[in-house]
Amino acid sequence: MTAFLARHAFPAAIGAIAAAFLGLFFLYPVLNVFGASVLDSAGTAFTLRNYAGVLSNPFFLQALSNSLIVAAAATALAIVFGVPFAFCVARLPIAGTSVLLALAALPLVLPSFVSAYALVLMLGRAGIVTGALRAAGLPFESIYGLKGIVTAFTLTLYPYVVLPAVAAFKSIDASVEEAAQNLGAPRGRTLRTVLLPLALPSILAGGLLVFIEALENFGVPFVLAEDKPILAVEAFKLFVGETADNPAAAGVLGVLLIACTVAALFVQRAMLSRRRYATMARRPAPLLTVSPPVRRLGTLYCWALVGAALVPFAAVVVISLLAFKGPVLQYAFSLGNFAELFRRSYRPLVNTLALAAAAAAAATLIGVPIGYVIVRRRSRLSALLDVLVTAPFAVAGTVLGIGLILAFGHGFLILTGTAAIMIIAYVVRKLPFSVRAASAILHQIDPSLEEASINLGVAPLPTFLRVTVPLMLGGIAGGSVLVFVTVASELSSTVVLYSGRWTTMTVAMFQALEGTSAGVAAAAATVLILVTILPVALVYRLLRRYELSTL
Amino acid sequence: MTAITIDGVARSFGDVRAVDGVSLAIRDGEFFTLLGPSGCGKTTLLRMVAGFCELDRGSILFGDRRVDTVAPHRRNTGMVFQNYAVFPNLDVGGNVAYGLKARKLAGDEIATRVERALKLVRLDGSARRWPHQLSGGQLQRVAIARAVVIEPDVLLLDEPLSNLDAQLRVEMRGEIRALQRTLGITVIYVTHDQEEALAMSDRIAVMRAGRLEQVDAPRAIYEAPATAFVASFVGATNLLHGVVVRRDGEVADVLVGATTIRARLAGQMSLDRVTLSLRPEALRLIGAGAAPPPGWRVLAGTLEDIEYLGAVTRFVVRLADGRPLAAMALAPPAATGDVAVAYDPARVVVLGDEA
Repeated sequence: MTAFLARHAFPAAIGAIAAAFLGLFFLYPVLNVFGASVLDSAGTAFTLRNYAGVLSNPFFLQALSNSLIVAAAATALAIVFGVPFAFCVARLPIAGTSVLLALAALPLVLPSFVSAYALVLMLGRAGIVTGALRAAGLPFESIYGLKGIVTAFTLTLYPYVVLPAVAAFKSIDASVEEAAQNLGAPRGRTLRTVLLPLALPSILAGGLLVFIEALENFGVPFVLAEDKPILAVEAFKLFVGETADNPAAAGVLGVLLIACTVAALFVQRAMLSRRRYATMARRPAPLLTVSPPVRRLGTLYCWALVGAALVPFAAVVVISLLAFKGPVLQYAFSLGNFAELFRRSYRPLVNTLALAAAAAAAATLIGVPIGYVIVRRRSRLSALLDVLVTAPFAVAGTVLGIGLILAFGHGFLILTGTAAIMIIAYVVRKLPFSVRAASAILHQIDPSLEEASINLGVAPLPTFLRVTVPLMLGGIAGGSVLVFVTVASELSSTVVLYSGRWTTMTVAMFQALEGTSAGVAAAAATVLILVTILPVALVYRLLRRYELSTL
Repeated sequence: MTAITIDGVARSFGDVRAVDGVSLAIRDGEFFTLLGPSGCGKTTLLRMVAGFCELDRGSILFGDRRVDTVAPHRRNTGMVFQNYAVFPNLDVGGNVAYGLKARKLAGDEIATRVERALKLVRLDGSARRWPHQLSGGQLQRVAIARAVVIEPDVLLLDEPLSNLDAQLRVEMRGEIRALQRTLGITVIYVTHDQEEALAMSDRIAVMRAGRLEQVDAPRAIYEAPATAFVASFVGATNLLHGVVVRRDGEVADVLVGATTIRARLAGQMSLDRVTLSLRPEALRLIGAGAAPPPGWRVLAGTLEDIEYLGAVTRFVVRLADGRPLAAMALAPPAATGDVAVAYDPARVVVLGDEA
């Protein structure tokens, strides 16, 4: 009995802590959003009138359909552009594929609304490229609207498809392809009938991530939508809008967002239900021998896509270093924008670094033991834990933010306006990252190493600290950095939760966008790019091990 | 150095009874092997002794000490894992010292014992090397040194040779056996390789579907198998199902299809339907018309499927009723076509009919 307790006490304790944390700071706030959506204005009686009101309002219906169209189009385009890229990187003799992959993954950690803002600077009504196009006599209105949002999402989210697809193409054993060719299938047919179907589950898993991100993202539509309503933005406006705060309608939009995500999840599951392939390459397929023109074409395509995704960020950096006279860009080098940005205070930068560091530390401390329990102590309980930890992924940052304010703005625990509520939101949202990072690396560590340590007389907990943790260090560090950089560029829950004292860099940029100081916004964007890219460059090798495909 | 008593242990995973009521008394200093096909429960049983698998019922004792309720890190067993499980973040010396440090021994005591253990597995001078610099055989030695250096009550080996190539496997099994004799340590050894089991063990327990089929010395396992499963799993054999048609004292004639085969039945055996086990090497090809050795019986048939294997040659003799008999000889048979095979009825093993 004591042995039984010792064996189950650890996972039970970890499960209890995780359940308590997510129950209080995730389920309870989400329940509050749901509650707000079904209670009358007095907040006492159950009513469906809020739903009736929203769903009979053409404006909100338009927001719903816009959001779905944008997410679906971005997902389709990310797959269309990402899969050929992944195939080229995985199978064609292209030089510098590791650099190419690292650059391709970069947009995932860079703030996507910076890319959107760069599109405005280049292709907006007064954009640099727009001006050049018009001067050349080409009719071009602007990038604003749904097409701009889809462009920004495609360029920043396509790596979600690329990374798992590369892994999938590489995990198909050479013999599978050889068998197809041996049976008479030419190359094209082999690709269509064997390689693509085998990679499909990974491609769809990546596509789901694109869809969810595109649905929940706040910054990109905020920058690019103009008069086009988008769910995540409208929920925010209804909740904190200057006109009237309307938690009931905001709650309805939040529930609609969650419903869309959950529906997407089920669609993906249904598409995959009969396709479960255990592929493990004993012998990875060799690079294809192709004619030089084909190889050059593949190389060109890959670099062009990576370039297209990164050019906006580079453009923002360049623009931030140019002088502005009011809103008018001058072609002269200047650090004036940065001086202007930091004139009042360095506080936003310090806040961003401190909040991201705190969130990364907390998410790692909570996430690593959870990852351990999920991988090493498989049971019905740990499977449930897995679902619970992944669930925050399905809830938009704006919605979680609204829920946290509804839940902790009054009552037994008041947290609004503190740094704590922001860190809590970050940890809840990024916990899937640290748990996945931990479990991915754990899958590579043979459990017999832990058993050997225990067998030699070291108790389970010291064994975990002395054997498992050192071996996991690479994965843990990669996961922590990922949490750090994604928190540093987080906007959707920050914009709901921040208070004056805890203004972050993303908020500073957001505020600059609302004003007219394009130079300050560009400077803030450049600082954000540096804050996210430097840690990634430092641990880039570690990060490459991180597998997004495990989601 | 301890006798081990395993009493009525059982463990189910879902509907599968991995170990289904096993009792064993392993002697002090014995080299004891658990042999069986994959999924027979041998590894589960070993992990029960190490403490990595809980018991549904039963008990395990080292000497007089009951250990199945003791946490695995307090059992003082030395385990060698199938994949070695050498810590990649520690050098060879660090790996071997790991268990001694856990026991909080003094630094110089640890150094002496690590050195002695490495010498024992012929890795002296390798203490500062890293696991990734070692070959499979060397990793295996590190794992063994790490397990024996703590002077465990019992050394547990879980298919330790299965990842090595054939030649090294034969070499290492000799070394492990010699090491065990030097230390006089009790060993439980798990394998699915019957040759390994026969070569190394004092006694073998053959397992099947979570139960013990037979526990005996290697020779008894091979020459006097208790069941048809043991006869066919340990070595190759011809299993023939038949009916006793005539009995004269210990000598019985068994009708197998249309062929009559003579065998010796132990006095107390009174069986009607039996299964006979005829080892291929117990069959001898004789030229047509040549006389068999005294007391041997002859079966006529045709020679088929000659397989030359170097040291021996396998072939099949198809009996007049169409039944194939696998046989083996040192030299390839000179004859072709119609031949006769002789066998010694004393070497025909009679088993109860399981069908």
